[in-house]
Amino acid sequence: MKLIKKRDLTATEAANVTSGVLGSAVDRRAFLRRMGMGLGGTAVAATLPTQMIRRAEASTAAAAGGKAEIRRSVCTHCSVGCGVVAEVENGVWTGQEPDFDSPFNLGGHCAKGASVREHGHGERRLKYPMKLTGGKWTRVSWDQAIEEIGTKVLDIRKRSGPDSVYWLGSAKFSNEQAYLFRKFAGLWGTNNVDHQARICHSTTVAGVANTWGYGAMTNSYNDMHNAKAMFFIGSNAAEAHPVAMQHVLRGKENGAKMIVVDPRFTRTAAHADQFMRIRPGTDVPLIWGMLWHIFENGWEDKEYIRQRVYGMDDVRAEVAKWTPDVVENVCGVPADQVKLAAQTMAEHKPGTIVWCMGGTQHTIGNNNTRAYCALQLALGNVGVSGGGANIFRGHDNVQGATDLGVLSHTLPGYYGLAEGSWKHWARVWDVDWNWLVSRFDTGYVDTSADTEEGQAAVPFANPMNSAGIPVSRWVDGVLEDSRLIDQRDQLKAMFFWGHAPNSQTRGPEMKKALETMELVVVVDPYPTHTAVLPDRQEGMYLLPASTQFETYGSVTASNRSFQWREKVIDPMFESLPDHVIMYKLANKLGFGAELTKNMKVENDEPLVEDILREINRGMWTIGYTGQSPERLKLQTANKHTFNPTTLLAEGGPCDGEYYGLPWPCWGTPEIKHPGTPVLYDTSKSVADGGLNFRARFGVERNGVNLLAEGSYSKGAEIQDGYPEFTADMLKQLGWWDELTADEKAAAEGKNWKTDLSGGIQRVAIKHGCAPFGNAKARCVVWTFPDPVPVHREPLYTSRRDLVDKYPTYDDVKSHYRLPTRYGSIQAKDYSKDYPLIHTSGRLVEYEGGGEESRSNRWLAELQQNMFAEVNPADANNAGIKNGQWIWLESPEGARIKIQAMVTRRVARGVVFTPFHFGGWFEGEDLLDKYPDGAAPYVRGEAANTAFTYGYDSVTQMQETKASLCKISAA
Amino acid sequence: MKKGRQRASRLLALATGLAVMLLGSTGCTEKTAVTLHEPGVYKGGTDPLLAMQKDPEHIETLKQRFVRGQTDR
Amino acid sequence: MARMKFLCDAERCIECNGCVTACKNEHEVPWGVNRRRVVTLDDGVPGEKSISVACMHCTDAPCAAVCPVDCFYTTDDGIVLHDKDLCIGCGYCFYACPFGAPQFPQKEAFGVRGKMDKCTFCAGGPEEDNSAAEKEKYGGNRIAEGKLPLCAEMCSTKALLAGDGDMVADIYRERITKRGGRPESWGWDTAYKGDS
Repeated sequence: MKLIKKRDLTATEAANVTSGVLGSAVDRRAFLRRMGMGLGGTAVAATLPTQMIRRAEASTAAAAGGKAEIRRSVCTHCSVGCGVVAEVENGVWTGQEPDFDSPFNLGGHCAKGASVREHGHGERRLKYPMKLTGGKWTRVSWDQAIEEIGTKVLDIRKRSGPDSVYWLGSAKFSNEQAYLFRKFAGLWGTNNVDHQARICHSTTVAGVANTWGYGAMTNSYNDMHNAKAMFFIGSNAAEAHPVAMQHVLRGKENGAKMIVVDPRFTRTAAHADQFMRIRPGTDVPLIWGMLWHIFENGWEDKEYIRQRVYGMDDVRAEVAKWTPDVVENVCGVPADQVKLAAQTMAEHKPGTIVWCMGGTQHTIGNNNTRAYCALQLALGNVGVSGGGANIFRGHDNVQGATDLGVLSHTLPGYYGLAEGSWKHWARVWDVDWNWLVSRFDTGYVDTSADTEEGQAAVPFANPMNSAGIPVSRWVDGVLEDSRLIDQRDQLKAMFFWGHAPNSQTRGPEMKKALETMELVVVVDPYPTHTAVLPDRQEGMYLLPASTQFETYGSVTASNRSFQWREKVIDPMFESLPDHVIMYKLANKLGFGAELTKNMKVENDEPLVEDILREINRGMWTIGYTGQSPERLKLQTANKHTFNPTTLLAEGGPCDGEYYGLPWPCWGTPEIKHPGTPVLYDTSKSVADGGLNFRARFGVERNGVNLLAEGSYSKGAEIQDGYPEFTADMLKQLGWWDELTADEKAAAEGKNWKTDLSGGIQRVAIKHGCAPFGNAKARCVVWTFPDPVPVHREPLYTSRRDLVDKYPTYDDVKSHYRLPTRYGSIQAKDYSKDYPLIHTSGRLVEYEGGGEESRSNRWLAELQQNMFAEVNPADANNAGIKNGQWIWLESPEGARIKIQAMVTRRVARGVVFTPFHFGGWFEGEDLLDKYPDGAAPYVRGEAANTAFTYGYDSVTQMQETKASLCKISAA
Repeated sequence: MKKGRQRASRLLALATGLAVMLLGSTGCTEKTAVTLHEPGVYKGGTDPLLAMQKDPEHIETLKQRFVRGQTDR
Repeated sequence: MARMKFLCDAERCIECNGCVTACKNEHEVPWGVNRRRVVTLDDGVPGEKSISVACMHCTDAPCAAVCPVDCFYTTDDGIVLHDKDLCIGCGYCFYACPFGAPQFPQKEAFGVRGKMDKCTFCAGGPEEDNSAAEKEKYGGNRIAEGKLPLCAEMCSTKALLAGDGDMVADIYRERITKRGGRPESWGWDTAYKGDS
């Protein structure tokens, strides 16, 4: 043993050194820890010993002959897809180890990922099915709950039609559960189904898919090692996607320039080479301002544009209006800064663009996302490694749930809602077409008996083929006059299936809506804000769902890679996996057999592998067809063979495959397509993961060719643009006879999207061609309200001087079945009484509505209070000091009581709130409304209570990044 | 020198304090054994890890682990 | 001879608190006790920097120097550990520590953890390695299992490094060479001065 050589150091001396290190820093954490420590500490003390005892018991049992087993799963928080390695002893999750083998995280975790083992203990979980009786939560059996809920919704269906029941799904589902949920809603007979993607990246999906074909991240986190420039706008990756920063900072170390555009000086901005602080909601002007310099100096990639882009001249015309002085006036960014950023992007290629909620959650979100695309197209940055649009998705499986159509406007695989789309899926599901149609409401309602006007029949769009109510607007679906809703009746019942309502805006109206409906059902591992927000006595159920660590299945990361999760532990308490609950409920509702026709069902559990095989059989549009359970499991066992930069397996059983078989993974699993690591990358052949832009918008417009010119993926036998593949096209090309007899039978009269044999795709790829054709990307989306993206001021804007020049849209009578207001709101000036811009965002410790993470003691300890970031000048004007309780009030009359964090992180005139809190409403802690023992450790006001009306003109994305507020001492 | 004096005086104060406590407690217990204080020498139990750390194989394992987990790969 | 060290690369640290949580997870550290924490300087303004701090396992550990009951010992590879059976919870080590590492649980609810608690470099204490007693008092012992501290192994960006000081320095030097700039191996002067 080494003896310690002692050195004298007085206590005073030491204290001085200490204060030098820790004492001077006043950061968010120190600030918040000071505020709420006592409370939290007390709350937790009671539960801790049980935790320790469980682990100790498991360890002892293991020592006595048991053995720790390793289970491989994937983090259930953000979309990076970090591998989780769990040690399980006697059914108890006793240890969590770093997953060094995963090419996504190489072992790394943020606070959330490092805490997932706590979910396997989960003292604060919803433990049993609960029913609200006389205002109190009482425990009921699963059978009773399913029976009562089912009877009630069938009764509502009889009175108000299938569209009066809303099925709100989740980005927390596995792929298999997401798919089953969308199928469930379809078989119930409604498109009133949606999930978190609506309110996170719907404007991305719509904008990007309409630009170049697919609405997903084009490259990958790992590919950012290859970037020479990285442009973040409205993305705070350091908090929202922390492990992505491993790749970002590696890219930076490789020499990439990093630019961050945000209203806040974020933790991501702290690592940037250049930071531009914009006024919230001015993304289009900033991007057009940069393009102004690019065009002015001829920095655009002219040959790329000629070959692969349609409509850049229309963009050029719009950009011409955004001279440096105009941009500076509208965005608030100094003109020389904008020029510097443009020059950096032009001189450092390939460059990538990253955007998140800061860009998407606006009334003009779809304009923002298309402007970002236009910038990248002008620079020729799309379809190259190191470039692309690296759109970081939010939840762990929001990409998968989006792809699988848990959305009110499409079926799985973005097939849409047209009759042909339903017919495609009816074939895959093997259900009778007439029966399926009969499940839906008809397109009119006889109201002669109960309306004052005495109308005989009010027609509305055919519900089977018209987009349902989006999650952002369900409140209006409940409260709006039924004659103004484009369906038979208002919403009468709603399932919150893995979705907290504090992620949606307009709190007071939401509370009223929750109190108005006849039935509210929460299916979740936690009670969530839904359980406590309404003042109800009856008509509410809480059904405990298992987390993804208590079941298994596949999940799609942001970069389109699939990963297979193994089951870590058995479902806790009385919880059940979501797909089991779906099956139980479908049985009660009378379509359990149709739901699981192609699946083995054991103990009410549809076999997960069978669900994935059905997905593989139908998802031809985006190549969700090659990722069979067997291929995914093989990759899981061989993660270490994949290169962390290219994601390519080098040797081993998966040699030549990309990690996670990123979609499109064309054809059947048997043709062994390796997946597509970078979308639209013509330097590889399609068979090796190469691509070109998709031919999705026709072949010509107004006499102008929309197909690619002289650009094609490596090895393509058609060395020019070509339309999407059909059976007829194969015949014209003389390739038809390369199909087998069985393939011919299946492919006759079909195209690459509807041929269930995959033969058309196989033959196209064999000839080096992309099944979806080869076209130009388009900068003009002629079907959108603003074909070329333009700037429009937010509905609640503080810059009244700009409203005339950049007005919002006129009100719309019916969009997604609902009247949608724009101009009538913007017409009124609220900026005098509500002078501050209100914007929102994420904290690293929590995710989404936050219930799960706020119920995790390790995370809860780190952020114990809801707060608002306020600039010192605004604080002084309002007479508010750091740490003081304040009221934040919205122009629609909602108010939240929170603590002020006075910081220069936000600009003068801007207030920022994090949106993960819940369990309070307008100054009141709702603790006593939770079922016993199921309240999260940390509760606080939901930021969205104070966010206001405002929805994107294409997708109904809610506006939560540019509203108004006022603050005062509480 | 100054630090040394301070430390010495502090130790003295501590020793005096301990002595007073011990004297006080002898009145009410029958324990008579006194532990003599040898400053600067670890007084706790022996950690079996110390033996393990001399094993070259263990040292090599930790090095391998470092390369596997903490490099950028 | 390996000499274990911690290094936090401020250019890579993003204050995600993965390290803090990993520590909680590995050792079941109770609420209110933070063996590791992330300190941010210039929060919210240009120049903002974060550093993850825990016991640095100093070469000439001031905590050991001031301990009135001599409960500290240093292992052959430089890990500073202590015996909680001896610790009297006086707090001298806290005043002596330049990194604010020693923690003192306020409640007695956690048994012996009422005494001083600090980062063990995931090497437990003097009890039998990975015994129930060691787990209870000091948390896990990864070093005995041939693993390194979980905080570093789970660092989201590989900012926090833990292992043989020479290997840690090699990685860090490589990064400095790549990205330019001056090395700022924060805390090393204080913790490892005079150490080879």
